[in-house]
Amino acid sequence: MKKLLAMLLALALVLSLAACGGGKTETAKTGSDDSLAGTYDIKVWVAEAAVDLTKKQIDDFNASNSDGIKFNATIQPVGESDIATQIITDVEAAGDIYIFAQDQFARLIQAGAIAKLGQGAAQIVKDNSTPESVAAVTLNNELYGYPVTADNGYFMYYDKSVIPEEDVDSLEKIIADCEKANKYFAMELQSSAWYLAGFFFATGCVSEWTLDDTGMATALKDTFDSPEGLIAAKGMKKLLDSPMHLSSSAASEFASGAAVVVCGTWAYNDIKAILGDNLGATDLPSFNVDGKDYHIGSFNGFKLMGVKPQTDAKKQAALHKLAQFLTDETRQLERFNELAWGPANTVAQKDPAVSSNAGQIAINAQAPYATPQGQISGAWWNIAKVIGDEVKDAKDDAGIQAALDNYKAKCDALIGVGGFVFVGAWNGWDNADMTHKLEESGGVYAITLEVEQSDYMGGRIVAATTWDTDHGAAQVTTGADLIDVEAGGGDNNIVFKAPGNYTVKWTESSNTIEIVKN
Amino acid sequence: MKQYSDLEFLRLSKWEKFRYKLLCFFAAIPRALKNAGIGIGRFFKNAVLGIGREFKDLWLTFREGDWKTKTSYLVMGFGCLARGQILRGLMFLLFEIVFIFYMIVAGGYWISMLPSLGKTGPGEVYNAVLDTYSYEYNDNSFKILLYGVLTIFFIVAFIYTWRANIKQNRVAEQILRSGKKLKSGKDDLRSLVDDQFHKTLLALPLTGILIFTVLPIIFMILVAFTNYDGSHDGYINSLFTWQGLENFRTMLVWKGAGGRSYSATFGEILTWTLIWAFFATFTNYFLGMFVAMMINKKGIRVKKLWRTILILTIAIPQFISLLYVSKMFAKNGIVNGLLLDLGWIDQAIDFWGSTAHNGLTARVLVIVINIWIGIPYLMLIATGILMNIPQDLYESARIDGANPWQQFRKITLPYMLFITGPYLLTQFTGNMNNFNVIYLLTGGAPTNAAASWASGNVGYTDLLITWLFKITTGEDAKYYLASVVGILVFVVVAVISLIVYNVLPSIKNEEDFQ
Amino acid sequence: MNEKRHMGIKASRALSNTIIHILLVIISIIWLIPFVCILLQSFRVESTWQVGYVIPQQWGLDNYAAIFKSDFTHWYLNTFIIALVNAVLQTVIVLCMSYTLSRFRFKIRGALMRFMLILGMFPGMLTMIILYRVLKDLGMTEANAVPGLILVYVASSGMGYYVSKGFFDTIPKSLDEAARVDGATRFQVLTKIILPLAKPIVIYTILTAFMAPWGDFVFARYISFGNPFGMNVAVGMYNWLNKDMINSCYTMFCAGGVIVALPVTILFMCLQRYYVEGVTGGAVKG
Repeated sequence: MKKLLAMLLALALVLSLAACGGGKTETAKTGSDDSLAGTYDIKVWVAEAAVDLTKKQIDDFNASNSDGIKFNATIQPVGESDIATQIITDVEAAGDIYIFAQDQFARLIQAGAIAKLGQGAAQIVKDNSTPESVAAVTLNNELYGYPVTADNGYFMYYDKSVIPEEDVDSLEKIIADCEKANKYFAMELQSSAWYLAGFFFATGCVSEWTLDDTGMATALKDTFDSPEGLIAAKGMKKLLDSPMHLSSSAASEFASGAAVVVCGTWAYNDIKAILGDNLGATDLPSFNVDGKDYHIGSFNGFKLMGVKPQTDAKKQAALHKLAQFLTDETRQLERFNELAWGPANTVAQKDPAVSSNAGQIAINAQAPYATPQGQISGAWWNIAKVIGDEVKDAKDDAGIQAALDNYKAKCDALIGVGGFVFVGAWNGWDNADMTHKLEESGGVYAITLEVEQSDYMGGRIVAATTWDTDHGAAQVTTGADLIDVEAGGGDNNIVFKAPGNYTVKWTESSNTIEIVKN
Repeated sequence: MKQYSDLEFLRLSKWEKFRYKLLCFFAAIPRALKNAGIGIGRFFKNAVLGIGREFKDLWLTFREGDWKTKTSYLVMGFGCLARGQILRGLMFLLFEIVFIFYMIVAGGYWISMLPSLGKTGPGEVYNAVLDTYSYEYNDNSFKILLYGVLTIFFIVAFIYTWRANIKQNRVAEQILRSGKKLKSGKDDLRSLVDDQFHKTLLALPLTGILIFTVLPIIFMILVAFTNYDGSHDGYINSLFTWQGLENFRTMLVWKGAGGRSYSATFGEILTWTLIWAFFATFTNYFLGMFVAMMINKKGIRVKKLWRTILILTIAIPQFISLLYVSKMFAKNGIVNGLLLDLGWIDQAIDFWGSTAHNGLTARVLVIVINIWIGIPYLMLIATGILMNIPQDLYESARIDGANPWQQFRKITLPYMLFITGPYLLTQFTGNMNNFNVIYLLTGGAPTNAAASWASGNVGYTDLLITWLFKITTGEDAKYYLASVVGILVFVVVAVISLIVYNVLPSIKNEEDFQ
Repeated sequence: MNEKRHMGIKASRALSNTIIHILLVIISIIWLIPFVCILLQSFRVESTWQVGYVIPQQWGLDNYAAIFKSDFTHWYLNTFIIALVNAVLQTVIVLCMSYTLSRFRFKIRGALMRFMLILGMFPGMLTMIILYRVLKDLGMTEANAVPGLILVYVASSGMGYYVSKGFFDTIPKSLDEAARVDGATRFQVLTKIILPLAKPIVIYTILTAFMAPWGDFVFARYISFGNPFGMNVAVGMYNWLNKDMINSCYTMFCAGGVIVALPVTILFMCLQRYYVEGVTGGAVKG
C-alpha cells in the first residue's frame, strides 16, 4: 500500500512536469522577407491615466500604418516609477512596450529588459528630440528608448494666501511664513534622492556616472562631499529642522495643511482643484548660507518609452515602428492636451499651447537651475536618499560632513573603488583615478608608470579616493637613487629625477617600496 | 554550577527554578552536542548497514525468486501481473513507463545541466534587413535548478517504488508458498478506507505540501549557494551559477565601505526583531487577558456588544485598517491635528519619521498599534479558557480572604500560562515574522542610515522578514542574499523554539500539542 | 457589622463595575475610530484626495458608484470565488490532515509532525518567487491568477493542522474504539461519529480559510503580475494608493474597504461563537 502512496506522489510530479515540457524555447524566426505585415499580440504598460489614450493611439496606428502591421494590444496600468521593480521579477512576462521614468533606466539595462535601437530608429530619435532627452536614452553611443516627455522635473507650488509673492525667492522667508501660519512645507527630502539632490546642484555639486553596456557603474565623478556639498547640506538642514517640514511630494498635502509642495507638472490639475485661485507655481527659492544665496537646483528628467527585447526580429521591428509612432510629434501633443505631459519632441515643444501652460511656465522658470538627469547608477537612488535623514540627525557641521563622507564611500564602493592609487603630476593628483590604481597580488601592489617631463615629477601612493594612507619617499628601499629625496621634502613625495618608464612595487606587510626603471 | 536534587528544586522560588532550568539547558549543550554527534554517527552507521541489508535482500530475492520475480527487476509489476494482482501490477508498470518516458523527454536534460546551471547564455542579433536588434535566449538557469530538483525527487520516488516492487514479489512468493491467497485489487481498495485509511487521508495534503512547500524551500536554500539576482536572472540577462559558500562569507564576514558589515546590520535588525516579538507577544497577552476578564466579570452588561466591537479588527482585512491607521499618524494626520487642537502638543510629532533614539517613537507606536490588532484574538481565547477555570477554586480562595489581585496571581495567571504555553511560543515566532503589521504601518521607516550601509534602505522598525522582502524587491533584487537571510532567520527561530521547548515545563508536558 | 461589610462589598463592586464600564466604552471608541473614519470618508464627495478633516462637507454615494464602474467588481468577484473555493477545499485538507495525525498511530507520524514543524520555521516570503514560476509554467498567472492562487493556498494548507488537531485530541478516543468494535470502518467512524462532534472546528476552519484571501496583497500581487483581471481586492485596492492614483482614488479606497469588510464582518459576527469554541478547543486544548 505504501507503493500506492508513492505512486500517487510520483504521478502528481509527472503531471506537474508534463505541463512544463522540455527545456528549449522556440527559436527566432528569421527570413529574408522584410515585410512586417501581420497581427501581433502585445502587452503595453502605461500609467493608469494614460491607458485610454494609449488604446486610442494604438488603434490609430493600426489604421494608418502602411506596413500592414496590426497590433492586438492589451493595455495594463503600471506606474512609471514601478516599472523596473515589476520587470525585474520576470522580464518574460513584462509589457512589450512600456513608459518609464528615467531613474529606472540603469536597472532596466541591468535586467536586460530594454531593446537596443537600430540605426534608422536611432536617427529618428536624434532628429526629433531635444539633445538632453536623447542623452537620457543613450548609453555608450547606443540608443535604448524613445523620449516621451521632457518635463519630469520639479518646482514649487505654493498657497498664495499664506506665502506672499515677495517671499517666494527665499527659502528662509518661506519657512518663516509657514511656521507663522502653522502650515507645512512639503518637500520629499527624507525618502527621495531625486528631490534632495536639488540642494547639492544649487552649490555646483555634481554626481556623474559612467555605466557600461550592462548598466553597471564603472566610474564616478561625485562632489557631494566637497565643501560646496557641506554648504548645500546646511541649506537643506534649515528646511529639515523646521517643525513644519513635511517629507512628501503628494499634491493632496495642500488639502491637509501644507502651504508649499515641491513636485512637478503632473500634479498641476489636482493642486488647481484644491487651491483654486490661490495656486502659485514658480521656480524653487534660494537658500542663504554664510551670507551667500544659492538657488535650489533640480533634476531635469524625462519619461521614456522602452521596447522589450523579443526573440522574433519582425515583431521587434514592428514594435519599434509602434514606439516611433507613439512618440511622434502628434502623439506627444495629444498626450499634452489630455494628460498635460510636456513633450520632448522639439517641434511639439514650440506649440503655443505648450509654451503657455502654467505648469510648463513654472518648469521653464526652473530650467536654468536644472541639471539634466544623465545615466545614473540604479543603486545611487537608495544610497543618496539616506542623506536627508542623516543630515537631519547631524548635530554640527562635522556630523553633516560625516554623513556626506559616508555617502561618498558607499558610492565609491559601488564602482569598486578601493585599493591604492599612485597619484601625482601624471594623473593630475586625482586620487579617484582608476587608471593609476596599483594592481594587487598577495599583498604586493604594483604599477607601471610613464613619467613625462614636467616641472615637478612627484607623487605618492594613497588609498583610493582618500589621502589617508601615505606611502612615499621614506618607504623606498630599492631604487632610492632614482628619486630626488630633497625635492620630496616634508610631503614625503616620491619625486623622479628623470622622465621615463618606471615600475613601482609596494609591499603592504613590510611597507616598503621598490622602484625599477624599465 | 550547583546541582539540585528534586526535593531541593521544588523548594526554590519560581525565579530560581527558571534560572536553574536555563542554566541546566546551557550546561547541557556540550553533552547534547556530543550526543548529537554520536546520534549522527549512529545514523550513518545504521544507514550504511541498512543499505547493505537492502542490497543483500535484493540479491537473495533475485537468487531465490522464480522467473516472475526475476523479470520484475526489469519490468516493474510483472510479478504482480503474473500472479493475478492486476491492479497493483498495472500501477507499477504504468509508473515505470511514465518514469522512463519522462527521463528521456525532459528529466535527463535537467539533471545533466544541474552541475553547471546552464552553458549558453542569451545573445543579441542584428538583423540588417530590418535594421533591428533581436535577442535569443538559450539555457534557463532558473528552470534547470527548479526542474533539476524536481527530477531528483522523481528519481528518489522511482527507486523507492522499484524497491517496493521487488519486495512485493518476495512477500507474494512467501504467501503463496505457505498456501494462502494473495490480496486482490478489491481488497487493496477496501483497505484504503479502513486499516490503511490514514494513507488515503494524507495522500493529497502531503502531495500539496511536497510540491508547494518543500520544493520551494529546497529551491530557496539552494539559491543561497548561487549568484541569482536581478542582473543574473538565469535566462534573459545572464545565467547564474553556483557560488559555493561565497554568499555566507559575504553575509557573515565581509566588511563594506565604512567598515559596516552585513552581519552588523543583521545583528541590529535581529535585536529589534526579538524586542518587537517579545513586546508584541506579551503586551497582547496580558492586555488581552485583562480585557477578557473585564468583559467576563459578573455584572458587566452587553458583553456581546463589547466583544463584537473588538473583533472588528480581526474581521476587517489588515491592508485596509492598518494602512488607514498609518495615515492617521502621519505628521499632518488627524492624530496630530487632534493633539494640536487640544493643545497637548505645540508642534506636530513626526511619529514615523523621527530617527531620535533609534526611531523610538515609531518603534513604540508599532507595538501600541499591534495591541490594537492583537488584543481581540487573545480576548477570544482567554474568554474560552477563563470559563473553563473551576469556579470552586475562586470560592475557596475568597473564603481564605484572597483579594482579586491575589486570586489573579495565584489562580488565573498560572492556569492561563500553563494552558497557553505552546500558544505563546507560536505567537512569539509568528510575531518575529509579522510582515503585515510592519510593512503596512511603516514600511520599515524611519531610515536607519548606519544599517543601510550594507544593503540599501534599512529602517529602524524593519524586522528580518521585511528586510528580506526589501532585499528581493530592492534595486538589484539580490535573491541569493535574501536566501541567506532566510536561512539565518530559520536558524534563529529554530534555536529559540529549542530553548523554549527545553526550558518551559508546561510545553514539554504538552507533548501531544506541537 | 456584617450587614455593613456586605454593603461595603456591594458598593465597591458597583464602583468597580462602573469603572470597568467606562473603560470598556473608552476601549470601544479607540477600536472604532479608524473604522468610523473609513466609513465617513467613503461618503465624502467634495474631493477624492486625503484631507485633514473627518466629517465630509458633502455627503453622497459617488465613491460607491465609482468603484462599481472600475475593475473593482472583477477583483471582488475574483476574491469571492477564491475565498469560497478555498474555504471548502482547505477545510477538507486540514481536516484530513489533523484527523489523521490525531487518531492514527503509524510509523512516520512523529517524524512527519517534527518535519512540518521545522518546515514552518522557514520564512515563506522567498518561496513566492518559485511559486510564481511554477504557476507561470502551469499557465496560472496574470489573467488566470484565480485558480493559481487557489492551488497554492489549498496545497500548502496542510501545514496549518495544529489547531484542529488540538481539537480532535479533545474528543475521547473511546468513541472511535466503540464504533470500531461495532464493525464500522475508519471512514465510517470519521463521517458518522467524529465530524458531527467537530462542528465548531469545522466552522472555525471554514471561517479562517474564507477570510484569509481577502487580505493577501503580497503573494497575490506577484501572481497577478499587473493584470487587472487576475487581481484580488487587496492587490487592486493597494494600487489605488500609488503615487499616481492616490489623489483620484483615495475616497474610492475607503468605499472599497467598506464593501470588502462588510461580508467578512457579518459572517464573522454570526459565527463568532464557533470561532471561540474552535480556537479555545484547538489552540490551547481547553
